[in-house]
Amino acid sequence: MLGNYKTWQKVIIYIVLVLMTIVTLFPLLWGVACSLRTDQEIFKYALPFSYHTLVPVDWTFQSYIDLFARFHFEKPFLNTIIMIIISVPLGCLVNSIAAFSFATFNFRGKGILFGLVLISFMIPFDVIAMPLYNIVDGFNWVDTWPGLIAPTIASGLVLFLFTQFFKDIPPSLIEAARVDGAGWPTIFVKIILPSSIPVFVTAGLMIFMDQWNAYLWPLLVARSQDIRPLQIALASFKMERSTLWSCMYAGAIFSAIIPLGMFLPFQRFFVQGITSSGIKG
Amino acid sequence: MGNVFTKNKFLPYILIVPAFVLICVFKLYPIVTTLLEGFFVKGEFTLDTYNTVFQDPVFWNSLWITIKINIVMIPLQIVISFILAMMVNLTVRGIAIFRTIFYLPFTISLTVATILWNMMFNANNGILNSFLSVFGIPAQKFLLSSSQALWCIVIIASWKGCGYWMMFILAGLKNIDTSIYESAKMDGAGFFTTVFKITIPLIKRVLLFVCVANTTANVLLFVPMQLLTNGGPEGSTNVLMYEAYQSAFSYGNRSRSAVMVTVLLILIILICLVQFKFLNEKEEGRA
Repeated sequence: MLGNYKTWQKVIIYIVLVLMTIVTLFPLLWGVACSLRTDQEIFKYALPFSYHTLVPVDWTFQSYIDLFARFHFEKPFLNTIIMIIISVPLGCLVNSIAAFSFATFNFRGKGILFGLVLISFMIPFDVIAMPLYNIVDGFNWVDTWPGLIAPTIASGLVLFLFTQFFKDIPPSLIEAARVDGAGWPTIFVKIILPSSIPVFVTAGLMIFMDQWNAYLWPLLVARSQDIRPLQIALASFKMERSTLWSCMYAGAIFSAIIPLGMFLPFQRFFVQGITSSGIKG
Repeated sequence: MGNVFTKNKFLPYILIVPAFVLICVFKLYPIVTTLLEGFFVKGEFTLDTYNTVFQDPVFWNSLWITIKINIVMIPLQIVISFILAMMVNLTVRGIAIFRTIFYLPFTISLTVATILWNMMFNANNGILNSFLSVFGIPAQKFLLSSSQALWCIVIIASWKGCGYWMMFILAGLKNIDTSIYESAKMDGAGFFTTVFKITIPLIKRVLLFVCVANTTANVLLFVPMQLLTNGGPEGSTNVLMYEAYQSAFSYGNRSRSAVMVTVLLILIILICLVQFKFLNEKEEGRA
């Protein structure tokens, strides 16, 4: 449905929208352009401003080749993938079964337990990252996969999201299955799961994005190259080789491209997850 | 209804155990230890750590900078997000494309955003100085200047964040029944009256959520300082979160870091209380 705007109103609206688009997209497009040229070229055309400040003269993929051949970005990339392959299913499982319990059963202490979950969801992860380090250190988990992943599995937000969704599943469905003699694992897999695909996708995407973009926690706990994820590799590349602009841009664009690629087809689920945590709450 | 569903009294608890143990160990316990660590040195209760920190000018500088950056950044981001949401809520052709574009920076990590902007802000070869030169404006030092660095970080964080907050506000706007606007129009209400008297009160819940979540994110902002400025130049971007990180991991002073994290938490709670009060008064004023 299109609204009724006068022509001059439409013109103003589009001018503002286009200006905002330029501000939003420019850093990204500029990053792509710089990753496709040599450092000499970036510096040569920086000043004075000209057509070639923005558009490369000689297009080259050299920076992307260097990124892997010389600086071995495939290792941190694989580490990030491992982190995600473990934490997405595990996070979905752990949080969804707890949410199932909160949404389906009445039991003693439910209010207090759910209250604690809500508190944990209000405490930002970055605040506890430093004290958390001492705890993980106590387990001798610094620089190990469990240390990197375990603290991120249980999430108040994801648990809350699942609980809200499961509450809307009619109890009669579950009752009928119970009368038919179905066990709880069967009910979870055969009844809950199929009717909750959207919330699983949303939760999975949230965990995916959190892990892909995680910075402070891996910075503290992933000390060695062996488990260091992509974001940390990118940051230390920035610290150590800050003169290699085109490689730095290539690294930034490379680590932006996968979440961007995930976002476009799954946009609906992102928005669902984000809004339901803010509005139903 | 619990007993209708299951004869096994323990089943609900068993299902909760994994998530609950993880939340207790990795979320709740660290927060408790932080609060306690500031008051205990070698197992004995003491206020020494607090005394030392409160007498340290570095702490007060960091607190001031944290307040300074947030007084600008939080309202700025909320206003921009609100305007963005209003814009993409308009019904003009192709608006879905613009909405998607404005979301995009949210999918990118703050690390990537920081690196992209870092090179744009470069004093010698940065594109922003190239633009300025077109208008005859002399090259700026941006991140190397103690008066500009903090505001450069505001730009980076806002570029990355506003699309995200826009989504929440947009969801709130979509819930408003459009007939309300039509009757307001018939009553002769102007644009600003409509926005302040109708739109904002109606999306109060969403706005409150955005305010609180935005405050937490911004007060704890850390990546640009750690990657670009290391708190400098001349301590001008040394926010409390960065100083807390430095205390724990560069100076090896965990209790100092714990005190600062506690102060940060209190600061977040205070700002959120102000926002609650402000938005609640708005509603009373209407009634």
